[in-house]
Amino acid sequence: MAFVKLNDLEIEVEDGTNVVEAARQHGIEVPHYCYHPGLSRPANCRMCLVEPHVFFPPAGAIVPDRQLATGCTTVLRTAPPDRKLDGKYDFIVYTDSPRVKKARADILEFLLVHHPLDCPVCDQAGECDLQDYSHRHGHDKSRYLEVKNVPPKKDLGPDVLLYATRCVVCTRCIRFADEVSGTGELGLIHRGSHDEIDIPRSHEGVPLQVLDNKLAGNVVDICPVGALISKDFLFKSRPWFLEKANSVCSGCSVGCNITVEYKADGLYRIKPRFHEDINQHWMCDDGRLGYHYVNSDDRLQLPLKRVDDELTPTHWADALAVITENLSEVETEDIVVIGSAQGTNEDNYVLQQFAHDVLKTTQLGLFGQLPGEEHKFPQFTIEADKNPNAAGARTILGSANGNVVLEGEALWEKVSEAKVVYLVSGGPERPLEDAEKAALKHVDFLIVQDVLPSEVTQLADVVLPGTTFAEKDGTFTNSTGWVQRIRKTIDPPGEARVDWEITQQLAKQLGGEMNYHFAGEIALAIAENVPEYADATHQKIGDAGIKLADSDQ
Amino acid sequence: MVQERRILYEHLDVPDINTFDVFRQYDGYTRFEKAIAEYQPDDIAKMVMDSGLKGRGGAGFSTGLKWSFVPRDIKPCYLCCNADESEPGTFSNRYVLEKNPHLLIEGILICCYAMGIETTYVYIRGEFTLGKEMLDAAIKEAYEKGYLGKDIRGTGLNVDIYTHPGAGAYICGEETGLIESLEGKRGQPRNKPPFPAVEGVFGKPTVVQNVETLCNLPFIVGNGVEWYTQMGPTYADTRSDPPTPDPNTGTKLYCISGDVNEPGVYELDLGLTCSELIEVAGGLRGEEVKAVIPGGSSAPILTHYELDTRLDFTSLTLAKSMLGSGGIIVMNETRNIVDCLLNIMKFYAHESCGQCTPCRWGTPWVRDIVQRIADGNGRKSTMTRPKFGVAENGRWGDTGETEEIYEDLDLLESVANNIANVDTMTWNTICVFGIAVSWPAVSYMRKFRPEFEAAIREGELVTLPVAEATVPPEENYAYQQRFVPKEFADL
Repeated sequence: MAFVKLNDLEIEVEDGTNVVEAARQHGIEVPHYCYHPGLSRPANCRMCLVEPHVFFPPAGAIVPDRQLATGCTTVLRTAPPDRKLDGKYDFIVYTDSPRVKKARADILEFLLVHHPLDCPVCDQAGECDLQDYSHRHGHDKSRYLEVKNVPPKKDLGPDVLLYATRCVVCTRCIRFADEVSGTGELGLIHRGSHDEIDIPRSHEGVPLQVLDNKLAGNVVDICPVGALISKDFLFKSRPWFLEKANSVCSGCSVGCNITVEYKADGLYRIKPRFHEDINQHWMCDDGRLGYHYVNSDDRLQLPLKRVDDELTPTHWADALAVITENLSEVETEDIVVIGSAQGTNEDNYVLQQFAHDVLKTTQLGLFGQLPGEEHKFPQFTIEADKNPNAAGARTILGSANGNVVLEGEALWEKVSEAKVVYLVSGGPERPLEDAEKAALKHVDFLIVQDVLPSEVTQLADVVLPGTTFAEKDGTFTNSTGWVQRIRKTIDPPGEARVDWEITQQLAKQLGGEMNYHFAGEIALAIAENVPEYADATHQKIGDAGIKLADSDQ
Repeated sequence: MVQERRILYEHLDVPDINTFDVFRQYDGYTRFEKAIAEYQPDDIAKMVMDSGLKGRGGAGFSTGLKWSFVPRDIKPCYLCCNADESEPGTFSNRYVLEKNPHLLIEGILICCYAMGIETTYVYIRGEFTLGKEMLDAAIKEAYEKGYLGKDIRGTGLNVDIYTHPGAGAYICGEETGLIESLEGKRGQPRNKPPFPAVEGVFGKPTVVQNVETLCNLPFIVGNGVEWYTQMGPTYADTRSDPPTPDPNTGTKLYCISGDVNEPGVYELDLGLTCSELIEVAGGLRGEEVKAVIPGGSSAPILTHYELDTRLDFTSLTLAKSMLGSGGIIVMNETRNIVDCLLNIMKFYAHESCGQCTPCRWGTPWVRDIVQRIADGNGRKSTMTRPKFGVAENGRWGDTGETEEIYEDLDLLESVANNIANVDTMTWNTICVFGIAVSWPAVSYMRKFRPEFEAAIREGELVTLPVAEATVPPEENYAYQQRFVPKEFADL
């Protein structure tokens, strides 16, 4: 640990921390544009200038260093005993001296000379570092009288636009494409004040390569100004009107930490949230743009029952009555209960409790999205398993005595022999493979709990409208054993209900004794009954998540 | 009358000196042979340190000291010869490359022997097509004669030289910009530290030396340190006790251009005054000297009051200017300083690499302000303010008089100083390009302020007589500091 004097604070920081991070840890802002903790440090914006103090032998005193230093590249380390300043400090640095403040204001003046100041129509307004720092550190007026550069607006790829006039040439996006995605689509063209970010183009301006890798959306997040803009979010909302909730991406088994930004009428965008061991600062575009099904107009809003071979809307009491009626006539060995890898641990726990305690069946299954492709990048992996909670669902469903959790062919073989199947699906629309379709057609009475009309619901006798990841609380367990919380953002559409509530209601109808009030209560029950999840209460999981003890095997 | 002392240029005019055989007749490669026969590598490094040789590229940093920073245990170590001579007003390396390339190769060999280097890159300015052709031919010849390649002259020494042409960027003459360009990247300087001596080409320790510096090595080895140190003055830096010697030894290739009768490259001892140099170059063309740029276009300008300034590294630093690359441009009374500054600023605004914020957007801004003044659209306030100068008590302060406010001149000075502050010598930029911009901008404006004011007042460029155009030293803050340091004295 290095003992550092930062302004008037005496702080201890780990060796190798730079001044920007050390200050951030202690609530002091060192403004910066080009520095990003997940990327290399070119120190080209010059915004994070700080004033180190050094020992000056002729004067026998500690004096401000002649040159200001960039905070992002000034690394704090333990000094040898004979090099301590004032006998105890490893480093002395000021982030608020008059020189530093003047330098910041001067750099901001340069950053703004060619900036169009089009904040009223800029998507970034409200979350823009240029706005914020100008407000906090800048001059109050411009002295620039000359003509501004007006580089053209460019379409860089399927989801990314470049408003080049707003660009401060911090090169974060270029470094991201070089270092994290390794695809290197971006570069600088021209020189000096005419520097522009661009993709490779022919002399006629025809793109030779576009920014269409699966991590491209991250460049919009890391752009400190409104230069790189997501087409998906463009002009949709002012960021200050959006509510935010910490959650976990449901797009694949990586379990990227995300912030869901929403209003009452739906989700607006998803941004990655830092988690050191899972996704660092990034997420993929599949997850980022995969939320649209939540806002879909086709969402199931009422329970459906089959009348004259047609699925007809009905009300909850009727739907549950139909199910109760059909279930009372079958033997327990003819019932299969299938949980969802899209559902939370809580959903699946209530489901297995329903199967075990009420239906007395040990025949359970696991259903989820079809596997996709794995994509590997130098610093990021998108996994092939497109379910956020396959690992968790598998453990939870199989947690009670004698439970067998079937998957794949074995499951569909069992389904084709069953009379009643209760299948929980969820997530984006899931096409059925031929074998699956054939097996489900055999079933006499098929109960499907899903969020969108699909091939699965087409075969159902009763359809119960469930909820997506954005409409409920709960936990997901990712492929590396991290248990993390998702949070309710918007209300479910129409009469749709949280999945475990539906199951609990059904259990009550059939005489079961289950009385959970909220997801955290179920998590406590899981902690009590599933040894691996002994620590996985919502309180302990928090925003950081916890890693299951035996998950490294 | 001062005479030229030709050492590097001694045999420059010998016909066919660019061929191995002729070069050999004039002691070619004997200095290298002496080095490997009589000295250990460390002895050579010590000789260079003792000779007081300062880098001739611009910064004037002690070559021996630079070598001492190179870690000896990390291999490979590289030598980069900087032949990207692009400073306006400088053209001395070009003659060496075109006429006497074997001298450079011999210098490289001595440096490689001293530092244990096996690979040398010569980064040649792209426009020097003839120079590159000549050097390539000389390198080929040296390989054939066994002075390059594996096991040179049976000593076990291996040296390879590769030439690499630049693509026209001024900034690639900055040592780290050069390294980036050499590695095949965009020519943008790196943050320092780490310095190239520790982490240079391909992340390995690298010695970056100018052509002229390397060409000095054969003569230091051949004639000895004592012979070398008697050329040029050695000052004593009395800031330390005991005073440390501050050598400005050797000769310098001064490139004299502008309003002189015989412009060209002159090899002279360091430490001659400005007026002596003008005499050497055939005297002034015109009536009187208005200004002298002492070290390439980025150096602060000298006025006719400062013609007694000695043109060596230390004296010019004390005069708040620099020797730089030794590109001396003389201007007579017909030159308009605003116009000169505009020309220089156009160059720098065009050549800024655009990597860091202050330089990327500051240099074109400075250019635009000067352009506006030159176009006659400079702004002047109708208000006045207290005038600062030498007050009644003889000290710098409020003189009790008032002066008119020329807003654009204040703006010019402020913007230039925000890129790099010339008074405190601190820069907010990554490399020293920032100071190369603000130095001329601020010094021209401060020293020839009447001409700038006239351009704003009259709405057009007005060339004033020299006496009127120049601010007398006692009225100029920039000069005040010039007379402050008393620490340096002749040894």
